[in-house]
Amino acid sequence: MKKQILIVPSIFFLFIISIFFYLLTIDRNPSEIPSNLINKTVPFFETETLLKNKKFISSNEFGNEIILVNFFATWCKPCREEHKYIIKLSKKNNLRIIGINYKDDPKKSIAWLKNLGNPYSDVPLDKNGRIAIDWGVYGIPETFVINSDGIIEYRHVGPITKKIYEKINLLISTLK
Amino acid sequence: MINKIFVTFMSIFLFYNFLNISYAVEPNEIMENKNNEIRARNISKNVRCMICQNQSIDESNAPLAKDLRVLIRGEIKKGKSDDEIYNFLTKRYGDFILLKPPLKLSTLALWFLPFIFLAIGLLVLFFYNEKYKKV
Repeated sequence: MKKQILIVPSIFFLFIISIFFYLLTIDRNPSEIPSNLINKTVPFFETETLLKNKKFISSNEFGNEIILVNFFATWCKPCREEHKYIIKLSKKNNLRIIGINYKDDPKKSIAWLKNLGNPYSDVPLDKNGRIAIDWGVYGIPETFVINSDGIIEYRHVGPITKKIYEKINLLISTLK
Repeated sequence: MINKIFVTFMSIFLFYNFLNISYAVEPNEIMENKNNEIRARNISKNVRCMICQNQSIDESNAPLAKDLRVLIRGEIKKGKSDDEIYNFLTKRYGDFILLKPPLKLSTLALWFLPFIFLAIGLLVLFFYNEKYKKV
């Protein structure tokens, strides 16, 4: 009788163990939180730009073509590491990339872009981080893929690695 | 006698620590209107710091937490209600930014499974006992 009772809890226990094991082995980053902005239109913002002497008004810019939006800063080391992939993305797909300069010193940003190359068509300035909050950004670098209807298709938190680079390439080719 | 002094001293010490819960609000962030400040603090305590994740923005020193504290105070000044402020935040960061998950169809299991498990446990205990009573 006692043995029979033990079968149920042990099956249950094994079931829980296998769930834990599965979660441990799959490629998962628990600090990555799904964006609430996926499938929504880009948030409106209006700000100065770094290299051009004109205002950047988001509603005039999005909605005509596929655009990559990249939040970056010169003080952010992973931004430097991912920069080569952003340059590659702009060259390979002839893609328009907007780099939002997050809480940064404009002088340093200009020097940084001169030094590493400038893949961005526009560099809107987010001086106090308010634009980033509207985009739900919590850890730069962050990258968004926006389709030609101005709707956010994809968001990546953290630096673009080779794997993410390939993922974005694939996504863009399906969007085209 | 020494014992008594020791106990009194320790209890004062513990009590003091208990009262002195740390928070990260900086003096220049605090609002002039006391009621508004209390509201801001209450909201901040329910909002997760997206960087530290298990701290509220009231306790966190992260720059984004500070930005959000300032933003919440700004919205209060504009005359927004608490619900409007929570909506503002979840629209951008999702339900994850709330330390307490909201009661929704998709979170029903999260809220009620513990009670269901408790009921199952009590039932099992009850029937187990009954069986042994007969023996």
